[in-house]
Amino acid sequence: MKDKSVLVIGGGVAGMQAAFDLAEAGIKLCLVERTPSIGGRMAQLDKTFPTNDCAICILAPKMMDCYRHENIEVLTLSEVIAIEGEIGSFKVKICEKPRFVDAEKCTGCGDCARVCPMGIRNKFDMDLRVRSGANVPFLQAVPLIYALDRDKCMRCGLCESVCGKDAIRYNQKPGIVERDVSAIIVAIGFDPLDPSGLTEYGYRRYDNVITALEFERLICAAGPTGGHVIRKDGKEIKRIAWIQCVGARDTRDNRPYCSSVCCMYATKEAILTKEHYPEAETFILYTDLRCFGKGFQEYVNRAEDDYEVKYIRGKPGEIREKENKNLEIFYSPASDKVETLDVDMVILSTALIPSEGVEKLAGILGTELDEYKFFKLKDPYNPTETTRAGIFVAGYCQAPRDIPECIAHGSAAASRAMEVVLGGSYDRSA
Amino acid sequence: MEKISDVINRTKAYYCVDCGKCTSACPLSRFGDYSPDGLVERALLGLPIQPDLRVWSCLICNRCKEACTYGVEYPEFIRGIRSLASKEKETGVCAHGELFSLMKLFTFTHEREQERLKWVSEDLKVSEKGDILYFTGCLPYFDIVFRDLGVNMVEIARSTVRILNKLGISPVVMNNEVCCGHDLFWNGDVKTFKELAARNIQNIKDTGAKKVIFSCPEGYRTFKLDYPEFFDFDFEVVHISEFLSEQLEEGKLELRKIDEKVTYHDSCRLGRHLGIYDAPRKVIAEVTDDFVEIASNKENSLCCGTSGWTNCDGISEEIRRERLKEGIGTGAEIMVTACPKCLIHFKCHMSNRKGEYDIEIVPFEILVARAMELDGINEG
Repeated sequence: MKDKSVLVIGGGVAGMQAAFDLAEAGIKLCLVERTPSIGGRMAQLDKTFPTNDCAICILAPKMMDCYRHENIEVLTLSEVIAIEGEIGSFKVKICEKPRFVDAEKCTGCGDCARVCPMGIRNKFDMDLRVRSGANVPFLQAVPLIYALDRDKCMRCGLCESVCGKDAIRYNQKPGIVERDVSAIIVAIGFDPLDPSGLTEYGYRRYDNVITALEFERLICAAGPTGGHVIRKDGKEIKRIAWIQCVGARDTRDNRPYCSSVCCMYATKEAILTKEHYPEAETFILYTDLRCFGKGFQEYVNRAEDDYEVKYIRGKPGEIREKENKNLEIFYSPASDKVETLDVDMVILSTALIPSEGVEKLAGILGTELDEYKFFKLKDPYNPTETTRAGIFVAGYCQAPRDIPECIAHGSAAASRAMEVVLGGSYDRSA
Repeated sequence: MEKISDVINRTKAYYCVDCGKCTSACPLSRFGDYSPDGLVERALLGLPIQPDLRVWSCLICNRCKEACTYGVEYPEFIRGIRSLASKEKETGVCAHGELFSLMKLFTFTHEREQERLKWVSEDLKVSEKGDILYFTGCLPYFDIVFRDLGVNMVEIARSTVRILNKLGISPVVMNNEVCCGHDLFWNGDVKTFKELAARNIQNIKDTGAKKVIFSCPEGYRTFKLDYPEFFDFDFEVVHISEFLSEQLEEGKLELRKIDEKVTYHDSCRLGRHLGIYDAPRKVIAEVTDDFVEIASNKENSLCCGTSGWTNCDGISEEIRRERLKEGIGTGAEIMVTACPKCLIHFKCHMSNRKGEYDIEIVPFEILVARAMELDGINEG
């Protein structure tokens, strides 16, 4: 007998869209998310291009819509560990990691977080903020259920003693959940590249060379600095430069592809900087400015005309840190001469790469990856179909794309999964 | 015969997007008027490439290649252009007069017996046949050419042999060794290079050596990367720093600590060309407790300012000045280099500016010999 259900792996913007479309069509599904909250990378962004809309303001209602939908079961802190069967009848095994908090009882009041003496760098804030050992990754997290970081926990008992709902469970064990589904949608997104291997730019060696996603947290009003772009020495920035294509379009480490979103997010970040600091000088050092999407060129024009963002063609060959911790960027514009730019902060627009663990998951799913470890399509005319029947792919984990494209891709994958659940024929090519 | 379009295809120069990253990493561009991507763009546009100083200035330091994210093999591009130019009888200017002709001499003076092994002092144990061979390279010649700089080049060779002797190895050294051909190869003279290579390979095969040890990074690069392009051979090649680092791991190398603060200058050939950054550092770490990295190091290391003996000029001196300033900036008393040419270039710069630079440039092999208490035996 066929199971009229779907599994969606990844609770980012693509996965949520796929889940919501399916749910609205009356199909029951299970949304599996590895981190404590759905929302994905978009939740980490301050604004979105080319409209400068507040990212979390758009996203949070979508997260709630998903979580509250009667047809959607959201499993957070969960990972798919095995699948069996085939299109129309997959058996999925999911490992649910313990939160050490009773999810039914927790009201998300945060009393536990306030008393916990542990300080742990918050991954959601790109390690720029220290959070408590009892935490939700961000204010708008869905579900708003606290989790204990038991790796570092000293089990002092403070959280347990303050919890009015008696929700702390120090001895919670991982659980195995099994679901029967007809189709699977993979939407596991991307990771930003750690650029410390690109030694010419001194990331981690120099105090004030940071990545674009770190900047995104700094400029965010709800971020670790309350929206102030502050250097390690506490000074607010005056001159700031973005370097494009850091680790992307780079054959040295087999990453010749364009990450597709960096020209626009750097433009966005420069505009936001000018909105926060009208006196600041902003520079974007690019190779080719790729503003191919709807409203993109106009966005860049506005950045130049209305915000005086300076675009410089040239990929820097070296950054040197000065004694005052300012940075000297060496670049060569069209003149073929070497010029230098002295700034107080450098933002690296790093390549976006397939998420950590993608190979393991592809192994479990029995799907192929391409040479850069993005999910491989069966053929270009089925843009959501992986190499295994009944398993579809959505979002950045298939190829670089921006948020609206990820959403469209999520919907596309949902419609193909619907075909499997509701329709008779599974294979278009058969 | 190779055409410029072949060079472009072979070196993937057509991938160049003129982003300027190479130019802003290039030591020549930093101090002078030079642009690797500018030259590539000229070639791509079909504009004539003047066989002028631009073509002969390149240091082949590989900084551009290391920086390039599009996979353009600029050093090989330059070598290709130089080969084309040399067929038109254009050559670079050798900074040291007759050195190039001396290298060429080796190809036709085989009847005349060399006295190449005069540097082998009485305390050294060497062999004519055996498993391990030490390729001495140009050291004995440089000893004479650069005697006025007080570089004492043969001491590098002697130290190497002393270290090997201490490890129980009596290395083969060849009286019929010839120039490895590095400089001629990179200056576009492939014909002579191949003749030299063939001779060296045959002579080494005749000794029965299975492993060839180099103290010179240029010779090592040439044997490791360039000879195999033209010839087959099955002996292993290894740099002394790699060899000693292995010996250290196996617990066979005993080193005494020195008191001085030490920094290390990565030479282009050993570093960027061959990716050997850790082996010398590992050995130096056993010699001193006070090791400090120089500002630009490893893949971002600054060149000594000249290679292949071509086109040493004011810009080269500026590069040296910058590098020495970086060395002094570390607070180190000793800057170690594993490349004899880097040593010569730094010493030359310093000898013309007496008292300006308070740092000692020490060859890697001599540092190790000191730490093994093998220095100063029968010196001179």
